[in-house]
Amino acid sequence: MRKNKIWKIVLGWIFLIPALICLYLYVWRPSLTGIGWSFFKMRGYTPEEWVGFDNYIQVFRTPGFGRVMLNTLQYVFWSFLIGFLPPLFIAFFINEMVHFKNGFRILIYLPAIMPGITVLLLWYFIYYPDQTGLGNQLLARFGIEPYIWLNDSRFTIIFLVLEMTWHGFAGTMFLYYTAIQSIQTELYEAAMIDGAGSVRRFWNVAIPQLSGIILLNIVRQIIAVFQVLQEPMVMTGGGPNGASMSVSYQMYLFGLVQGRVGESLALGTIVFFLLIIGTCFYFYLNKKVEDNY
Amino acid sequence: MKRFSEKQIGLLSSAELRSARGRLLYWFLFFLLVLMVIITVFPALWMILTAFKTTQEIYTSTEILPENFTLVLAVNQIVEAWKMLRLGRSMLNTLGVSAVNAVVAILIPGMAGYAISKRKSRGIGVIFGMVVWTMMMPATVQLVPRYISFISFPLVVDDGMRSVTNVNVLNTYLPLWLGAAANSFNLILFKNAFDAVPNTLLDAARIDGCNEFRIFFLLMLPLCKATVFFVSVGTLSVAWSDYLNPYLILSEADLLTTPAKLFTLQGLPGIPTNVYMMGLVFACIPPALIYIFFQRRMTGGVMMGAVKG
Repeated sequence: MRKNKIWKIVLGWIFLIPALICLYLYVWRPSLTGIGWSFFKMRGYTPEEWVGFDNYIQVFRTPGFGRVMLNTLQYVFWSFLIGFLPPLFIAFFINEMVHFKNGFRILIYLPAIMPGITVLLLWYFIYYPDQTGLGNQLLARFGIEPYIWLNDSRFTIIFLVLEMTWHGFAGTMFLYYTAIQSIQTELYEAAMIDGAGSVRRFWNVAIPQLSGIILLNIVRQIIAVFQVLQEPMVMTGGGPNGASMSVSYQMYLFGLVQGRVGESLALGTIVFFLLIIGTCFYFYLNKKVEDNY
Repeated sequence: MKRFSEKQIGLLSSAELRSARGRLLYWFLFFLLVLMVIITVFPALWMILTAFKTTQEIYTSTEILPENFTLVLAVNQIVEAWKMLRLGRSMLNTLGVSAVNAVVAILIPGMAGYAISKRKSRGIGVIFGMVVWTMMMPATVQLVPRYISFISFPLVVDDGMRSVTNVNVLNTYLPLWLGAAANSFNLILFKNAFDAVPNTLLDAARIDGCNEFRIFFLLMLPLCKATVFFVSVGTLSVAWSDYLNPYLILSEADLLTTPAKLFTLQGLPGIPTNVYMMGLVFACIPPALIYIFFQRRMTGGVMMGAVKG
């Protein structure tokens, strides 16, 4: 009987161990070596000697590093400004529809089905600075000269954020949509009997019910956009003149293109700890939100 | 035509929709949604339209529609683009990778989810906490160290006496498979799904002489079909849309998956925009098929996405 019990425990671990090995090899091992080796002088991809914070100092001394940080914050800011409200409102509107409800849902979800790389490349061509691009074809309809789009360094980040929002907002919208559907209709009815109109019902019934999920989405969005990499990598190469360079892309260039591996790991470690703080905040909110339900 | 009187109360109620003001508001929202549909559909449509333009048209005209469009010409364009881009090989690669990915993404997180949910023993709670934290680790930050780790990757190598040696696994599919298996989000999804299966059912199966492996494969997985489904669709979609990992890991052109192949083709001289657009259309077809087939069940799956730590 006793032997049986031990066998049971062992069996549980047998089920567990493949996943743990995979997580170790794919996440934990690289994360730990990444932090550890950021304090070493790297020769190629092998650590050579302990240099303390040298790599970190090098990162901060890189010309234009302040601008890279600022750019990344700009990504976060614009993605919040452009991308926060549309999914919420569209989700509400679709929920209100009597006509064509499923049609709207499927068609608006379309960008989310398209593979990420296709969307990035498609928008690369939409912004193409000659008449091959959709943007300039539309301008030509109104007789306006071709515009340089992504090469206009004042607006590059905003254009990239537009692409990001186009691809990403359907997923967020869907999350809101399911949450909106779970709001009990009795709440609306009670509010209506008390004389609340549409706007009042929106502010005083629906929004309080959704505030938790909205807050979580904001934090998650900030954490995700802070790591923006693929947009500058595919669409601008960080240009023009570093105007769209992000922290993650800088990290990628340091480590895998310019051979400055130590700096790359140091920058990665800085971002890692910044984001871990964000993540702790996310967990804290998550716990609070769940306690409220 | 559906009637306003059947509308469930929400921000607008059927009573309010009887008034002119309510109707006006409703049709205004309707109009905004139509606008939104145009914004979401038009770029995708433009991709398809551009794919069917001739190369000459691309460089001379600013029209959005192709000038002359016939079936013969269209088929011709498709065939030409397919020959020029040579995506066939990469499509097969992606098919293979995504199939293996889907299997390991169910098997390995699924088994672990089962152990955490139903085979409780000492230490498992700690493990689960670790898994939740793993899910929240910032992904991009791991990019460079992970690449380095694949250069010297600990593997059991059969060199007479089985020992762990560091091997370079770049230019193999192993890292991609590993990425699918090491998915803590899916693990938690499975764990939550298994939590809902009553223990009495498992006890009954055990009394009938089922061992744990049979319980897992013949009872748990079929019972949590929706989760299995959701995870496999998600895994398949990632394989068809992620360019970054395959691009970094596979430097041999013959091994590339379709997204990575498209990325390497970007900006190559001698590929006109219309041909390239056709390539993008090709790359959209498999995910679109996955979505069309499984749409209904996938929307059920999003609800399950609520992860409780």
